[in-house]
Amino acid sequence: MIEHRSHVYGVVAEFKTEHELVHAVEKTREAGYRRIEAYTPFPVEGLAEALALKRNNVPLITLIGGLTGGLGGFFFQYWVCVIAYPLNIGGRPLNSWPAFIPVTFELTVLGAALSAVFGMLALNGLPRPHHPLFNVHRFVKHATSDRFFLCIEARDPKFHLKDSAHFLKGLNASHINEVEDD
Amino acid sequence: MTEQDYKAPESIDRIRQRALIAGVVGLVICVIGIFKAPDRFFPSYLLAFMFVLGLSLGSLGLLMLQHLTGGNWGIIIRRPLESATRALALVAVLFVPIFFGMKYLYAAWLNAPSSGDGALSEFQRAYLTPNGFRVRAILYFVVWLILVFIFNRWSREQDVNREDRGLRRRFKMLAGPGIILYVFVMSFAAIDWVMSISPHWASTIYGFLFVVGQLISSMALMIAVVVLLSRTGPLSGVLQPRHIHDLGKLLLAFVMLWAYFSFSQLLIIWSGNQPEEITFYYSRLHSQWGVVAVLVLIFHFFVPFFLLLSRDLKRNTNLLPKIAVWLIFMRLVDLFWMTRPEFAPNAWPNLWDLAALLALGGLWFFVFAGQLKQLPLLPLGDPNLAEAIEHHEH
Repeated sequence: MIEHRSHVYGVVAEFKTEHELVHAVEKTREAGYRRIEAYTPFPVEGLAEALALKRNNVPLITLIGGLTGGLGGFFFQYWVCVIAYPLNIGGRPLNSWPAFIPVTFELTVLGAALSAVFGMLALNGLPRPHHPLFNVHRFVKHATSDRFFLCIEARDPKFHLKDSAHFLKGLNASHINEVEDD
Repeated sequence: MTEQDYKAPESIDRIRQRALIAGVVGLVICVIGIFKAPDRFFPSYLLAFMFVLGLSLGSLGLLMLQHLTGGNWGIIIRRPLESATRALALVAVLFVPIFFGMKYLYAAWLNAPSSGDGALSEFQRAYLTPNGFRVRAILYFVVWLILVFIFNRWSREQDVNREDRGLRRRFKMLAGPGIILYVFVMSFAAIDWVMSISPHWASTIYGFLFVVGQLISSMALMIAVVVLLSRTGPLSGVLQPRHIHDLGKLLLAFVMLWAYFSFSQLLIIWSGNQPEEITFYYSRLHSQWGVVAVLVLIFHFFVPFFLLLSRDLKRNTNLLPKIAVWLIFMRLVDLFWMTRPEFAPNAWPNLWDLAALLALGGLWFFVFAGQLKQLPLLPLGDPNLAEAIEHHEH
């Protein structure tokens, strides 16, 4: 029956070139695997499409952050100038909105930028000091320099340690490693 | 890539014909306007003139910008941009009636009292003279037309000598100083032709407002034109979502820049609250003109800004041209708001506005469409053309 061990994270295949990797990703998806991830030392053109990565929510988070910053920036000033400390400055109306715009603008940018950075980190699950793939010696040594990796994760419904490893071997992988979970 | 000639489609002749009819009908009404109501006609003519000037000059600015920065977006719209700049010859001719309408447009400095209220400063008396105005106008057009001539000539050359690498360097060398020259001269032109309507009011950012407005109208026109050409013929299969995505991003950038310039001018004058400065906004932010100001703020900035934030919309060949055409319309409303309050207390366009727009817009499009047919719609000699139009979708 299914060889499912709880301490297996997945199986990782190593490729020598980015073309082999993109090709392998396409084949793996065609075979029905969905919980897969690719690791490369540099951005590889066409890889995101091959993985069929979904659009993420960072733009939405940025928009909400920007709107919050802008509205907050405006109404803080409104509150100070109109409600809390109404002062007559050169006969101008208390709600002198043109004077509020530069700060509103700055806080829009601040809110949008901060939420973009932290939203991106949160959606990526970062910071993350350890990852099961670090248990694979060759991965640690080569993933950031000269090799391209494809991992089929154990949570994929089609995952089967031996079959999946065999499948990856058939895609011209130079090394196959089992990834232990911890 | 197989060698294609990318000729403009035949359907362009129909557009040309309609534009010509509109132009001639408009011209006839304009001639009536000159004799019947010159005091109301010339402000309308000035509005229409500044609009078509913007289509040509904005294109000149974008053309130089894309030579300077490179990028696939520029290669896709380069030939339509060049066609629009060549229509500047027509715009120069269309300036002539303004010489005859000077006494209706610039009465404030032509008939300024020599002392007391409304008197000009010593510098203004030296600068704002009828002959100075005429000589400078000719000078402005000479500078722009020389730039247009050189860029178009080299572009034609490039189609023949496709291996000439030196040509690209020359394009770049001229584009940088050319942009500075264009902005500098346009700044003076805006002062002479529009700001001098109220000679006691001055703003240093005024010329930039016109420059960025011209870039908006030109970029919007280019989006509409390339999408249209991709539907009916030579650019179908060439124009990709990534191209109009880039054009949409630039349009968004120009809309933001326009808002930034407009607001900087308002903020400084509003904060200073000096009698000689604030009158400009007093007449533009109250009663009917105040309504126009709010409409410009909402429909020239907020609505396009939030719509253009969307990535999907910028890649949508159906929606992006609609927003582009909308922005061209809002450019007209903005120019109306900038140029008219000195002449009319009520903010309603009149018959002469319609006639002048029909005449100048029609003639401009007639020339523009005719120029589009002159050369292949893509710069065949550009060394980056193949890369610009290749498909890398898997």
